[in-house]
Amino acid sequence: MPTLTIDEREVSVPAGASVLEAAEALGITVPHFCYHKALGAVGACRLCAVEIQAGPQHGLRMACLVEARDGMVVSTTAPAATGMRRAVIEYLMLNHPHDCPVCDEGGECQLQDMTVAGGHGVRRYRGKKRTFPNQELGPFVEQEMNRCIQCYRCVRTYRDYAGGHDFGVLGVRQRVAYGRFRPGRLESPYSGNLVDVCPTGVFTDKTVRFRARVWDMQCAPSVCPHCSLGCATWPWARYRELLRVSGREGPRTNGFFLCDRGRFGSGHANHPDRPRTPRLDGRELGWPEALEALRERLTKLTWAHGPGAVGLLTSGRASLESARALGLLGQALGGAPVVCEPHPRRDRAVRALVAELGQLGRDQEDVRQSDCLLLAGLDPEGEAPMLALAARQAVRRGARAAVWDPRPDRLPFPARRIARLPEALLEALARPDGRAPDGLEAAERESYAETRAALQAAERPVLLGGADLLGPRGVRLLLAAARALSRPGRACGLSLALPGPDSFGGALLCPDGPDADELLAGIEAGRVRALVCLEADPLSEHPDPARVAAALGRLELLVVLDHLPTASAARAHAVLPTTAAAEMDGAFVNHAGRLQGFARVYSAGLPIRVTGQGAHPPREFRPDTPGELPQPGWAVLAALAGEPVELGELRAELARSEPRLAGLAGLVAGGPGVQLALEPSARERPDTPAEPGVAEGELALLSVEALFGSEPLSARAAPVAGVASEDALALCPADAARLGLGEGEPARLRSALGEAVLPVRLAPGLAPGFALVQRRFGGPLEGFAPGGGPIACRIEKGGAR
Amino acid sequence: MNPLWLGLVLTAVKLVVVLAALLTMAAYMVWVERRLLARMQLRLGPNRVGWFGLLQPLADVIKMLAKEDTVPAQADRWVFLLAPAVTACMALLTFAVVPFGPPLSLFGQEVPMVVSDLNIGVLFFLGLSSLGVYGVALGGWASSSKFALMGAVRGLAQLISYELSMSLALVPVLMLAGSFSLSDIVAAQAEVPFVVYAPVSFAIFLVSILAESRRTPFDLPEAESELVAGYHTEYSGMRFGLYFVGEYINMIVLGALTTVLFLGGWHGPWLPGLAWFLLKVGALAFFFIWVRGTLPRLRYDQVMHLGWKVLLPLALVNLLVTAGILLGVRA
Amino acid sequence: MTLWRSIRGTLAALGVTLKAIFRRPATIPYPEVKRVPAPRYRARIVLTRDPRGGERCVACHLCSAACPVNCISMQAAEGPDGRRYAAWFRINFSRCIFCGLCAEACPTLAIQMTPDYELCRRDPLELVFEKEDLLVEDGGKDRDYDFYRHAGIGVAQARGEGSEEEPPADVRSLLP
Repeated sequence: MPTLTIDEREVSVPAGASVLEAAEALGITVPHFCYHKALGAVGACRLCAVEIQAGPQHGLRMACLVEARDGMVVSTTAPAATGMRRAVIEYLMLNHPHDCPVCDEGGECQLQDMTVAGGHGVRRYRGKKRTFPNQELGPFVEQEMNRCIQCYRCVRTYRDYAGGHDFGVLGVRQRVAYGRFRPGRLESPYSGNLVDVCPTGVFTDKTVRFRARVWDMQCAPSVCPHCSLGCATWPWARYRELLRVSGREGPRTNGFFLCDRGRFGSGHANHPDRPRTPRLDGRELGWPEALEALRERLTKLTWAHGPGAVGLLTSGRASLESARALGLLGQALGGAPVVCEPHPRRDRAVRALVAELGQLGRDQEDVRQSDCLLLAGLDPEGEAPMLALAARQAVRRGARAAVWDPRPDRLPFPARRIARLPEALLEALARPDGRAPDGLEAAERESYAETRAALQAAERPVLLGGADLLGPRGVRLLLAAARALSRPGRACGLSLALPGPDSFGGALLCPDGPDADELLAGIEAGRVRALVCLEADPLSEHPDPARVAAALGRLELLVVLDHLPTASAARAHAVLPTTAAAEMDGAFVNHAGRLQGFARVYSAGLPIRVTGQGAHPPREFRPDTPGELPQPGWAVLAALAGEPVELGELRAELARSEPRLAGLAGLVAGGPGVQLALEPSARERPDTPAEPGVAEGELALLSVEALFGSEPLSARAAPVAGVASEDALALCPADAARLGLGEGEPARLRSALGEAVLPVRLAPGLAPGFALVQRRFGGPLEGFAPGGGPIACRIEKGGAR
Repeated sequence: MNPLWLGLVLTAVKLVVVLAALLTMAAYMVWVERRLLARMQLRLGPNRVGWFGLLQPLADVIKMLAKEDTVPAQADRWVFLLAPAVTACMALLTFAVVPFGPPLSLFGQEVPMVVSDLNIGVLFFLGLSSLGVYGVALGGWASSSKFALMGAVRGLAQLISYELSMSLALVPVLMLAGSFSLSDIVAAQAEVPFVVYAPVSFAIFLVSILAESRRTPFDLPEAESELVAGYHTEYSGMRFGLYFVGEYINMIVLGALTTVLFLGGWHGPWLPGLAWFLLKVGALAFFFIWVRGTLPRLRYDQVMHLGWKVLLPLALVNLLVTAGILLGVRA
Repeated sequence: MTLWRSIRGTLAALGVTLKAIFRRPATIPYPEVKRVPAPRYRARIVLTRDPRGGERCVACHLCSAACPVNCISMQAAEGPDGRRYAAWFRINFSRCIFCGLCAEACPTLAIQMTPDYELCRRDPLELVFEKEDLLVEDGGKDRDYDFYRHAGIGVAQARGEGSEEEPPADVRSLLP
């Protein structure tokens, strides 16, 4: 712990910290551009000059490059340092186009701040400015190269940190420019980080181009609702419209960065068809009337047919408090059980994880610090994009990575790969002797043995998996493998991507309720007469949409609480509008059992863009806000149960009734969250039966999520509408040849999920015997709900598309 | 005609004429004051309603009558409603004993130009001016508002303090005239007004009636910069109007009394008696306005200091000296 | 002598007010007589145009940020040529205090103040001026200034053809 003096104040910092970081610890900001906490220092901008007056070094130095040492005396205000900074900022501004009024970065621009901080006010240079041509970089990122100050942050983020290949630095002398070799969409799923990282306005968010200034926007610390990782975000809203999302520093989770789905996929809150008024039997009502009528009907049904007559269904999208309020509604209705996921296999997989995880859960930071990773059945780009970025950081630090997955490799780092379903391999890994399973090729056997040895030898091994492919049995095997690889004093961690942001919390609250299939059976048998869906859409999330549609048709009352215009909401007798995550206070439990709170950014309402129809806001006085009716799910449910509560009361009740959630009482949005004190369930671990295999002559179909458009949130976000992948059927070339199909030719796909005619795409990385589709809302693959694991399918040539 | 009936009719006629004249004068005093104050401050004053703004008082009355008459929820309702009337009535009643002209011969009868020539006119005036305190005190108390209450408390203290010196300043006049009747006092000044014999009394009386009428520089009970509007903060409409007009009637009445007691009443050369009377009252009213346009409000302790430590001792000394001189002269 | 000073002070003051009565009042009888304010008088706000007749306002939000009473609101939008402009621009004159900070903050000289001080309406909504009420067909005080000639991002002219710019660099050239 070196102790040094900066501006006559002493500070102790961890060994290896730079002088700039030491100054930051004191609250002194040394002006800088190229230094970034996550990217480190390169000393390219020369702005962070400080004078070192005593210690191992002397004189003017770059604060970001000098390691803090004992006995150093540093001055950030010495005339030499301030003079240097003023000169540097003046020459950085030589070529700047001075177009702040029309630049979206204005107001949050580091160059503006540092120009003021550096003391440069009047331009003395009379020569001409260097200019650059711009590039078209796709729908997310806007480039304006003239504003560039050559700090290299973008390249270091895109290539080094995120592992992108299609972006770099070009040119020599003072013609150094950053971009793609040819104009085109940035391919990396982490391209949006350029916007956050660029200290000036070269890269700005194209989706909100010219929409708002930073000081006009409302923002609050939030948690990303797009996957189960719980990345820290700042959503920004103006005029009742969620405009953009930027990365918040989440030391345990995302660090600084965000994936493009989390950053650009939040337009669902502004969806024009979003329910905004309570609706009952096609009539729009106010809250009191709607709730009164519904309560009466639910109570009548319960009296007439017993407490089981009302089914309750939620999903991983609902906040922890909303899920609890649904449970309380069940209690108020005499004990109706809660089903916590519309997809039964996903449901069982999550419950298996929650029951047995204990303290093995690992956040992204643990993954970044790991020295050996095994990715078993995980497709990070679809299920949890930031997990791949975290794994990349571990690999950059020297960690070994292995992948056991039949799907093509889309990882941003090198890994040893076994292109098979991971189940048998995990089973072997969980066995004490760890003998390789039968049927492996020699190279695969060797790879398996190496990976196992590396995992056993590693200090901080982490197993990563995806619940969608693994299913309940795979999850149990992964947990068993983690336990088998753990030794006293050194646990093998586990990081499993789950379907929704609060899948973990939902399963925690109802560890052993029925699953969706039992619920459907109840409806079909006539036992369940009414269904309350809390932010769940069984019609598009259940693997058998036809059966769901038939079952929903039998219901006497279908109540849907949602903030999305889902297929189920369209069929419901009653729709109660709820708020999106950015419009409410709440909490999610992420995939590793970390409880994180999020705060309300803005109040729900019709955006001025809608009420003004694009022009100025209506010229009228009114006391209310148009479209202000959506309420948080927990508030609606508590009112429906007849016991309205405050959020604080609900949280206190939850903390009392569920000791593992005791941290909820003191939870603050924006904090690091609370790791839940989980104990592995003491019950006997059930031996999950193997899922039915795929018969000879059939291909195993995997329906997975794409980066955009596969899950209900980003599918309804306007900015990513044009980016979602084309519907296609991916086949390995050998299988395609066997079926007589070539690239782009139409193929008819038949499976339990449904039928579709799709163009064939040859995927050399795909294991033979598999077919791969990415579910996309609004296309022929809408019914192909992911999460079912490999299922049998038949593919034949042709058919009209 | 029966002299009794004639007397009654004449009294009734006098009552109506005096009341009408007094109210009209009070209303136009408002206009005069606003115009004069404006000119002293290089402004124009009300000049929009009618010729030179002469209909402004009428517009004000219509406005105040049309306004909502609000009563605060916590107010002592009946007291609140009646208090403004007390102020206005006391001011009006005082004028009953003021002789405003030489007696007139009418229908072979000598008609004194005074509504009621009481032989204890001065005492009547002093009594009524003491009762006038109730208008302020009750109004402020009944409003149930801290500003009103503070205004009322200030008003009470101030009126009681200055009543003493005012009464004492009158004693030399009574000694000079040898009567309590105002008609006799006027008659005693046929040659020389008392201001010549008793200038100190006149000065003390003038300052005291400024304080009695609660006008600048003694407008502490309604100090708008500290107490919003003092004791009439909660009043609106014509009830506020009664307080307002009461102040102006008071101003005229006090001016008339000063004229009667010190300036020789209606006595004067060349012009008819009534004209002299009006002239003198008008001059005093101008003086009131002039002082208002010039002097700032005194601080509360200064008001008390002036009343108790300056005017009261001065009035006592003045009383003794005058009495001594009178004794000497008459002996 | 305090007494003498007090008396003299009081009398002198009375003299001043008495004299004032005979001086000419400073008040102007407004609707009949109108004062002509100086050209730099700060009253009704207008949006001016650049020398080529285009809207100067680029909806940069600096005026609304500077406004101490928050009476300016706007929405920026992008024109087909990449030009940033105000899709709508609203000044609520019933809130405006005519402090002039918006005009001072304006980087494009779009927002300017005029001497037209007669801004009274019976309906407060009529005091809410939209962009079409604010726009004038004139350059106002500095008619020759054109922001886009100086801001080097190639909107009003091709990239690199602004008044202080070199032509766009060829980033693929390796020549020194």
